[in-house]
Amino acid sequence: MNRIKNHPILDSNERRKKVKFYFDDKELFGFENEMVSSALIANGIKEFSIHQKNDMPQGIFCANGQCSKCTLIIDGIAQKSCITPLKENMRIKTLTKLPKLPPDDEALGNHKKRELKCEILVVGGGPSGLNAAIELAKLNYSVILIDDKEQLGGKLVLQTHKFFGSIKDCYAGTRGIDIAKKLENEIRKYDNIKIFTNSSIVGIFKDQKVGVFQENKNYLIISFDGVVVSAGAREKSLVFPGNHLSGVYGAGAFQTLVNRDLIHSSDKILVVGSGNVGLIAAYHALQAGIKVAGICDILNDVSGYKVHADKIKRMGVPIYLNHTVLVANGNEKLEKVTITKVDNKFRPILKTAKTFEVDTLLIAVGLNPVDEFYNMAKNFNFKVVKAGDAKEIAEASSAMFGGKIAGLEMAKKLGNEIKIDENYFKKADILKSPPGKNYSIKETELTDKYQPIIYCDQEIPCNPCVSVCPNDAIKLENNLGNILDIPKFDGECSGCTLCVTICPGLAITLAKKIDKKHAEVILPFEFIMNYSVGEKIPLIDIDGKYLEYGEIKNIRQLKKKKIHLITVITSLKNGNKIAGVRVQDENVTKPLPKAEYDYIPEDAIVCQCEMVTVKEILNYIKKHKVRDINQLKNIRVGMGACGGKTCNSLLSRIFKMAGVDWNDVKRGTDRPLNMEVPMGAIINEE
Amino acid sequence: MENKINMKNYDVLIIGGGSVGVPLSYYLAKKGVRVAVIEKESSVGRGQNRAAIGGIRATHSDPAKIKICLETLKIMRKMENKYGYDVDWIEGGYLFPVYNEKDETTLKKLLKIQKSYGLNIDWISKEKVQKLIPGINENNLRGGTYSPEDGSASPLKTIDAFYMLAKENDVDFYFNEEVIDAELSNGKIDTIKATNRNYKSDLVINCSGGNAKEVGKIFNLDLPVFPDSHEAGITEPVERFFDPMIVDVRPEKGSANYYFYQNKEDQIVFCITPAPKIPGKDCDNTSVFLPQVIKRIINLYPRLRNIRVRRTWRGLYPMTPDGFPIIGYSKELKNLFLAIGMCGQGYMLGPGLGKILSEIIVDKSEKYDEFIKELSLYRKFDKDEMLK
Repeated sequence: MNRIKNHPILDSNERRKKVKFYFDDKELFGFENEMVSSALIANGIKEFSIHQKNDMPQGIFCANGQCSKCTLIIDGIAQKSCITPLKENMRIKTLTKLPKLPPDDEALGNHKKRELKCEILVVGGGPSGLNAAIELAKLNYSVILIDDKEQLGGKLVLQTHKFFGSIKDCYAGTRGIDIAKKLENEIRKYDNIKIFTNSSIVGIFKDQKVGVFQENKNYLIISFDGVVVSAGAREKSLVFPGNHLSGVYGAGAFQTLVNRDLIHSSDKILVVGSGNVGLIAAYHALQAGIKVAGICDILNDVSGYKVHADKIKRMGVPIYLNHTVLVANGNEKLEKVTITKVDNKFRPILKTAKTFEVDTLLIAVGLNPVDEFYNMAKNFNFKVVKAGDAKEIAEASSAMFGGKIAGLEMAKKLGNEIKIDENYFKKADILKSPPGKNYSIKETELTDKYQPIIYCDQEIPCNPCVSVCPNDAIKLENNLGNILDIPKFDGECSGCTLCVTICPGLAITLAKKIDKKHAEVILPFEFIMNYSVGEKIPLIDIDGKYLEYGEIKNIRQLKKKKIHLITVITSLKNGNKIAGVRVQDENVTKPLPKAEYDYIPEDAIVCQCEMVTVKEILNYIKKHKVRDINQLKNIRVGMGACGGKTCNSLLSRIFKMAGVDWNDVKRGTDRPLNMEVPMGAIINEE
Repeated sequence: MENKINMKNYDVLIIGGGSVGVPLSYYLAKKGVRVAVIEKESSVGRGQNRAAIGGIRATHSDPAKIKICLETLKIMRKMENKYGYDVDWIEGGYLFPVYNEKDETTLKKLLKIQKSYGLNIDWISKEKVQKLIPGINENNLRGGTYSPEDGSASPLKTIDAFYMLAKENDVDFYFNEEVIDAELSNGKIDTIKATNRNYKSDLVINCSGGNAKEVGKIFNLDLPVFPDSHEAGITEPVERFFDPMIVDVRPEKGSANYYFYQNKEDQIVFCITPAPKIPGKDCDNTSVFLPQVIKRIINLYPRLRNIRVRRTWRGLYPMTPDGFPIIGYSKELKNLFLAIGMCGQGYMLGPGLGKILSEIIVDKSEKYDEFIKELSLYRKFDKDEMLK
């Protein structure tokens, strides 16, 4: 079974009820109410159905109910397996052609229109939406919060790592999964907030109502006075040949499989994109025991936080900058990914090609706001505000603050004369700062007393190390005068290790000189502990360079914090340079001795639902002098289940390739439904 | 004025690159006329063509519409083989299932008229209805009328095909070009002023669909075209299981008839007629449509309960007071021709109308006089259409 039984951070979910089900008549087992897609992947089945247009096997893609790649015949009806809970004796069948509508000819049953009212509707229960709802509830508004997942917290529930920011304002140093729980506990205290989970807004309508597809079976119409759109973000897609292969999907889908469902989805992954999402996905893979061949990014610099990148590099994952994915190859499913260096115009340099044998390629090339509901509400002149990633892509820390502000702004729009604290805006601004300047760290001289060695050399909005130090011995340098400043040790260290355990970047060690030749270093470790005292482990400097093997003197498990502290004996000269332990063998990341690939650039798929290639679109644009996205519907672009959510953001590039100025192109219109809904559900037929 | 660089001269200038204007431009150009189409949107069919659901029937109750649509059907059948454009044509027929005596009487009465115009339409038994629509609600089902030669096609692909054909015949298209003003003299349109250019033309044809009234004002004409809106939707594709366009004429509170079919992409496309009408040009979706139409659809065809709705939209029916189009020369302005007020049937009328009008305008053909006269702007608008 491809299940993660042991995870350093996440509790096992193996105690759930086991149920029998059938896939193409083969008897299999899964857990009751886990998503069918996850149960199948746990059973090693990663190719679900065959696409109509190109006969390619379809695997998981969005894991979020948005596309329809994972559609299977479940108990006779075509359903998206990623949002269908598994039940005992379910009969699941692969689809090789269009689904047949079952001859369910029983007369129209009891049905009813279900309608609700609220003052404020909050779309999305992630960090910003939860905070917005709480602020509004405090002001006694009746609030309805809608979220499409089972668990509140948005993407926080997929994050096993500790968050940046400040402790006081946004739970910095706390793991995403735990922040989600805290926020959920808080919001559940308010009885003027009605919460609908497993529910998606599928349309926002002119008559100031939304349609909600609830629990995969009901339809709810909600009217409201104001709406807060905190619907998060969706991952950008990427055009390269082979991007439609089963095994190529977004980092979000991966985190869902691995961290929500504890599925060992892959043996080895490659990540494209070195933003925080890509870096963290690689980290999550390692924690789940999945190998990571590397991360590539077309840019010259890592775009995420340097502490994240350093951490990944120390663990043994190479980051290939100025590299792009050339092609993904495989017979029916992903087998190989070839990356190349790019020249200064981002064109691939074929002679630099490196091929990796991986079964999964994670796309983590950035996020786009899910703001279509905001735009529609705005067009309709509704009272609307947006918050979190739906407003601006940033860290969860800033989303929490942004959410509070959005809640208060909504109250103002509804006539409440409340004043919003100026500090809120300042803090939100700081928390959403992208990584700033890099500094070179001065080498610390070790003494015979423990002191923190801080491997944090880039301006990022984060200061929990400062807050937790009982001696106030970690201070921020005063360059900017805010929490972006670099922390430095200045004072007395009592060796309490609080800074080591809280640092989200795992960028602090404690070190001391123990004799003329040796030092002792305490390192944070967030993996399953397979080492024992006396063992020698490979020790690595700040950005991944191997230094030496050191002997483990002590291992301390902090159960509540889900972290181990490893004390190692090292040479004195490296004691102030050792920042971490390599956890992945170097052989894992080696490319094939010779690059092996088939590369036909124009075969890349743009519209994944309808399998429309770059070539088809380019030809059509040229032949029909297309200046209007609507015209591309003739070749089915954007006509599939996802409604253009995947391909829309790619089209600007295709038009550019065709020599058309994107500004001259008329954009498409967003129309409901945002997600497909069965007719029977819309009338709540029993 | 004459010397301005941006002055364009044509034999015929068509205002509106939609369901009517684009085929018309092609048929005119094919006869050697220099034609331009000016369109305020950025491509063809951005008005109501894109909202049409694709049904094409000749089985109306009035000779004018019947003759025009018979012409359209002839053209649609040949689109692929003769013109080389696959427009997703399906000859699936139209089927009006009947559940009560009143409807049976009305439709059977209509049948006689329809047959008298040579239409292939007949009453079919309950069993035949069930065979054509497997799983249809059989409770009180009495049979229905069925016209197998009607069909459907993709409005999007159809207008694109005519656009390409028009361009092959040297029609000039000007997009993002809206008529702003006109110089009138001696009972003629002298110059048309649009967003980016000015135009002179021997003949101007108003094919501006939902905007006909506004365009009329520019020529000091009060054109009785009043758009109202209808909402439509489309589902996921499923294995083909029925062919005809199904029209349920039984009214209910809030709606008159509704209709749906399975298109060539195997998706179900559906639409409802609100009652009372929703006047105006608002094309935003409302929360009313889906529950309203779906309740009726499942009642008629229960197995559709399991199909997933993918998208909905709203389009305009540019209505005239009597439900018939306005076709013909203007009396006030000698070089103005009107092809407006298609009453929601511009897509099915467009190709046939284009062909017929090209014969009237270029060849001065008189063979259509009798029924075209009925569609004159100067009629009384007091006729009542039996089958709307």
